[in-house]
Amino acid sequence: MRFFLCALGIGFLLTGCGTNNGPRKKLVAFSQCNNSEPYRAAQNARMKKLFGAQPDVELAIADAQQDNSKQIAQIEAFIRQKPALLIVAPNERAPLTEVMGRAYKAGIPVICLERDIVEPNYTSYIRSDNREIGRMAGQYIVDYLKKKYGAPRGNIVQLRGLLGVEGEINRYEGAQEVLSKYPEIRTVHEAVADWIQAKARDRMTEALRAQPKIDVVYGHNDPMAVGAYLAAKDLGREKEMIFLGVDGLSGPGGGIEKVRDGILAATFVYPLCVDKAVEIGTRILREPNFRPEKVYTINSVMVTPENAASIEKAAE
Amino acid sequence: MSRLRKLKSVLGLAGIILVAILASPQASDGSNIFLQAGNLTDVLRQMSVIGIIALAMTYVILTAGIDLSVGSILAFATCVTGMIVTRPAAPGGRFTQAALAVGIAMAASALLGAANGAVISVFRIQPFIVTLASMIGVRGLAKWLTRNENIDIGFGSDAAASFANFVNQKAVVVGTFAALAVIFWIILDRTVFGRYVRAIGDNEKAGRYSGLPIRSVKIAVYTLSGLLTGIAGVIYAAENHQGNPNAGIAYELDAIAAVVIGGTSLMGGSGSIAGTIVGTLIIGVLTNILRLRNVDSNVEMMVKAVIIVLAVAIQKNEKAE
Amino acid sequence: MSCEPLILLEGVNKRYDGAKALADASFSVAEGEVHALIGENGAGKSTLSKIIAGAVIPDSASVRWRGEPVRIESPIAAQHLGIGIVFQELDLFPNLSIAENIVIGNVRMERRQWVNRKELGAFCQTYLEQAGLSESPWTRVRDLPIAHMQLVAIARALSFEARLILMDEPTSSLPDDAVERLFALIRRLRAGGVSIVYVSHKMKEIFEIADRITVLRDGATIGTRTASETNIDEIIAMMVGRELAAEYGAPADAYRETILSAQNITTRKLRNVSFELHRGEILGVAGLVGAGRSELGAALFGLDRIVSGSFRLEGSEIRPHSPSAAIGLGIGLLPEDRKLQGLMMQMSVLENSTMAVLGRLQRWGFLSRRKEAGLSAPVHRGMSLKAASNGAPVSSLSGGNQQKVLLAKWLLTDPRVLFLDDPTRGIDIGAKRDIYRIVRELAGQGKGILFVSSELPELLQCCHRILVMRDGHNMGIVDARAATQEQIMTLATSEVTAA
Repeated sequence: MRFFLCALGIGFLLTGCGTNNGPRKKLVAFSQCNNSEPYRAAQNARMKKLFGAQPDVELAIADAQQDNSKQIAQIEAFIRQKPALLIVAPNERAPLTEVMGRAYKAGIPVICLERDIVEPNYTSYIRSDNREIGRMAGQYIVDYLKKKYGAPRGNIVQLRGLLGVEGEINRYEGAQEVLSKYPEIRTVHEAVADWIQAKARDRMTEALRAQPKIDVVYGHNDPMAVGAYLAAKDLGREKEMIFLGVDGLSGPGGGIEKVRDGILAATFVYPLCVDKAVEIGTRILREPNFRPEKVYTINSVMVTPENAASIEKAAE
Repeated sequence: MSRLRKLKSVLGLAGIILVAILASPQASDGSNIFLQAGNLTDVLRQMSVIGIIALAMTYVILTAGIDLSVGSILAFATCVTGMIVTRPAAPGGRFTQAALAVGIAMAASALLGAANGAVISVFRIQPFIVTLASMIGVRGLAKWLTRNENIDIGFGSDAAASFANFVNQKAVVVGTFAALAVIFWIILDRTVFGRYVRAIGDNEKAGRYSGLPIRSVKIAVYTLSGLLTGIAGVIYAAENHQGNPNAGIAYELDAIAAVVIGGTSLMGGSGSIAGTIVGTLIIGVLTNILRLRNVDSNVEMMVKAVIIVLAVAIQKNEKAE
Repeated sequence: MSCEPLILLEGVNKRYDGAKALADASFSVAEGEVHALIGENGAGKSTLSKIIAGAVIPDSASVRWRGEPVRIESPIAAQHLGIGIVFQELDLFPNLSIAENIVIGNVRMERRQWVNRKELGAFCQTYLEQAGLSESPWTRVRDLPIAHMQLVAIARALSFEARLILMDEPTSSLPDDAVERLFALIRRLRAGGVSIVYVSHKMKEIFEIADRITVLRDGATIGTRTASETNIDEIIAMMVGRELAAEYGAPADAYRETILSAQNITTRKLRNVSFELHRGEILGVAGLVGAGRSELGAALFGLDRIVSGSFRLEGSEIRPHSPSAAIGLGIGLLPEDRKLQGLMMQMSVLENSTMAVLGRLQRWGFLSRRKEAGLSAPVHRGMSLKAASNGAPVSSLSGGNQQKVLLAKWLLTDPRVLFLDDPTRGIDIGAKRDIYRIVRELAGQGKGILFVSSELPELLQCCHRILVMRDGHNMGIVDARAATQEQIMTLATSEVTAA
């Protein structure tokens, strides 16, 4: 009996914490694959800020905690609520395809954010291009080494993210596309650090022990590049090489700040895609005759100490 | 006594359902979203995978054991299913291929469970340690088998896709869970084996003095855990259209939570399948209503924590009175 | 003895699940007396002593300590008053040392955050000596024999400087020589002004040590007698509410036919033990704690490996390598510790009693509940088992009824030989009587019974012959009708001559 009463109590608590007051607002549902990555947190913050400026929109964000089944269940719960707009940042391609198709077929406008799914079960897909970022990083390495040695040669270390993930594959292969043209630029050490700074620090320590001379460290995200920097600093070798990252998040602890602080030589902004998503989403909400394109690609920007401050400012 | 206890957790479930009805938002036509048939069946489908694992976990916990390896075995089973079902044209047609995939995934998972049970009972190492080791090892095995890559099951009309589309149906998923629940209920309640499971968990030493086949019962219990996790893995693979070596992380904890909320004691000997089903439903309904109300996922975790402790604390109190 | 009692309890009421455990009970202890609290199981003496110890809160009671009204709401509160406890279920920490067990929760030590080993050892040494323990304070408790664990518990109570010490069945696992030492200790404490509440079933001990005796029955205080002015018959009559039938006569004669013979059995603990057990015979097994009595059962039941020697059951050699093999051969073993080795406490009376015969009650693995109830009903009736229902958990039963459930388990297997390891330990007189009766009936059916007991009068009364053990050796077999306690003690303590 007491269990029953306690449950009731929780129920009233629940009814209290909703936002069901006033006239019905337009519900924008955002299914985020994993809140705990900084990139995702930045997406959430940006989306809250932009939709927050629209008083008749209620934004609901669900966190799938990097679990496909959880994300499917969350989208199913959203479908029941018939939102005016559904934005999904899919955790993985195949698992989310079917459930997004169900939402799409139910007549809910669906924006697929950043990651692709297997079939085009969406109104619009807003993407950025990891392969292009890989190419930009590769080109930066080539230019830097040319300037350093007068010819494109040198030793580089690459720190890779979680294997098998699209971002990891393309950031790697995009760079390889460029670097493979220069046989004297050698990747002397490659290690997998699963996107995590602490792991990157350990893997880099091993690289430093094995390699007497390193010119460039290319981390496939900023935290890994920073981890590598810390490892080199431990051994007093951080001046010997430069560190490149990817993601270029703004705000404290983000990659842009690390560039400004001189820790990273450069980072490549992996666009949040949120600004575009909100722009397209808002038009879907408010312009009945708007016909969005199927795919929007957002270009990356290279952040260097010279332009760091201005890019940071623009992102606010 | 046990009937009374069942009643208490059922009452808890009733309370949570009532809360869900009261707290549910309304659809634009004024109907209660929580009570929509589609939503209720969503809940059942969503909890089936954990529910199936929790059935066998109940047996394991009744013997005063624990199986931490289920999350990894689930991942392994999804990978085996995915690898076999996506093979280009096997002899015997699509149906045979799908059946083979399901059969092998289940058998291999059961085998891993049996290995757990054998090590636990023959070498007399604590189940926590043995299954902790296989949780790590089997995860590695799954990743090694797939070279870290997901095995996507397509959406076309090949064997893989038709397997996924068939198994993925709500009726098939929920039906499998329901059938297994009934079978496990009957085994525990009506068979000698079920009696042995409870007796061993209650007092293993006394079981030895009564001449019970302790070793084989333990091996059987962990084998069942592997087998049911294998079945859950097949369903997971179909639902997600992929074999995924990173699937099922922390599922062992979700399954244990369902069992514990259902009133089964981690000390072994006391508990029931009915309780576990109720425990699974409590988590399922709770999660659903929190999502329907778009409660922040961090708050969701805190609410769940409170419910787990509350459920167990109150059942304990009522037992002591 | 001063006029003001040390502790006075009046109008004590306590109900569990609606059933009354104590109804308006009263009890008082004077300073410096040994006061026995006696009653059949379920009479309320455990509840009453737990209330004094602060482990159970009464529904209503008036308690005075040296005339002052007090409330004893926790074991710590009891300790602060000066009440020490030696419980029947040894509540020690087996993995900690003797010294740590003594100081844990000790109000005199708890304020001190750091205690060095030397100081701690010295602190404990005094009490260990008083309690008659010679082990180092750093011995781990689980390495001690059961009898010594009891002494640790007593030393712990002493270390509180307790004014009142509750002893619940303190001698239930002690060999006779240790009992004597304990009594000497109790007398010393009494001389020092300490009061002892002595809860026991053993009439002989009570009359030996107690100054006064209070009898409880059905939760009520029946009366208090001065020990020197009463006798066993009066006390028993007060306990059972009726005159106890005359003592049993000797058991019926056994058959001549041998059912079990042991030839030079040697295990890790036994040394060349040989004996013959006849059909219909009750063979007592006597010896001090650690003499190898339980190990004899372990060897017979397939729990210990037999290094050399052999058992013959009805003429054919047997080598049971596991309990289930032994059960298959028709051997049963009622273990020494019914809670640890015997019962599934959360399971029901019925489930416990059919535990060893489920194979017979199944078809395709499914249990027939009808058969199960049908099979066990006559056995339960035959031993006048008292339980709320077949479905009641055994944990809700009294010790005596629990023991009957275990006995029922073995009766259902219909064994040829039954090894009973101290079957009457810690149970009340009524249940003991039932168990003696059952054992005789079994013998009458032609089964061979091995009957271990720490109480010599019990062995002398129940058995045909008594095998006396010491250090794993058979020291001799005596005829129970002709032997005396002294004769058996002499055998049990004499030196082992050449192997």
